[in-house]
Amino acid sequence: MRQAGTYSGILSGGISGRTGPHLLPLARIKKIMKKSGDDVKMISGEAPIVFSKACELFIEELTQRSWMVTMQGKRRTLNKEDVASAVAATDIFDFLLNLVSESDRSGVDATDHPLEMDALIRS
Amino acid sequence: MSDKIGINFDREGHKYNFAGAGAGVSGEDGIIKEQDRLLPIANVGRIMKQILPPNAKISKEAKETMQECVSEFISFVTGEASDKCHKEKRKTVNGDDICWALATLGFDNYAEQLKRYLHRYREQEGERANNNQSRAPPAGDFNEETSNYRGELLMRSAEIPSTPLKFNGGVDGRSNTSSLSRPF
Repeated sequence: MRQAGTYSGILSGGISGRTGPHLLPLARIKKIMKKSGDDVKMISGEAPIVFSKACELFIEELTQRSWMVTMQGKRRTLNKEDVASAVAATDIFDFLLNLVSESDRSGVDATDHPLEMDALIRS
Repeated sequence: MSDKIGINFDREGHKYNFAGAGAGVSGEDGIIKEQDRLLPIANVGRIMKQILPPNAKISKEAKETMQECVSEFISFVTGEASDKCHKEKRKTVNGDDICWALATLGFDNYAEQLKRYLHRYREQEGERANNNQSRAPPAGDFNEETSNYRGELLMRSAEIPSTPLKFNGGVDGRSNTSSLSRPF
């Protein structure tokens, strides 16, 4: 299936499948990096390794902040609205604002509700 | 016997979903792209779980949202790093560029930890290169070496707390640069 390449063995978690400190697949990280722009042509071997740690830190921070919202709501299940709140409350996560608000609006957009509009027109 | 048991190619194609699908994915092309552009939900979920208290639960949607956020994070930082390389007429984005981009974009505390991590990694790589010249380790040893080397790398570089919920400081429990104590 997958060929042994740069990211197998020592870098991706060992042939035995033990993940150790590398919790994220390096080849996938590299793919995502490449998709970020046309001018991303060459990526050094160490860049995905740095990113795997950076992503861990990122996930940890966003998760912790989201959990604080969950706790404020006296709940024990972290949901996506908690993540959205944490993003909104953190300046450095501004680049995520569109992303989390899009996922919130995957259903009906409340401002478009026809009944409400009718009520407004009639009043 | 002409019934197609087990084959279910409807118009929407297979909804594997193990990579976490966004809303409105249809067609095999769309699904393949979803898998490519997101980190695996199991890995993401594991990292989330590890930082939370043992009784915490995480909704599937929250994990999916996190997947999307991480990919966006990677794109965002890579874009910045790539711009820098472009301006400096360099072709290859390296670890230093990532660290620089992180610091530029406001992730100073990550940048500091990662610089040390990168430094360690480069040292280890140098040592490994020297060791490999003298001997080739057998497969069993290779795994041992792997986990020790990376274990050491982790221990000696970033001081990332293993206990969950250190809210008194930033991610690394030391600095107060990320204001976790700021009220929402």
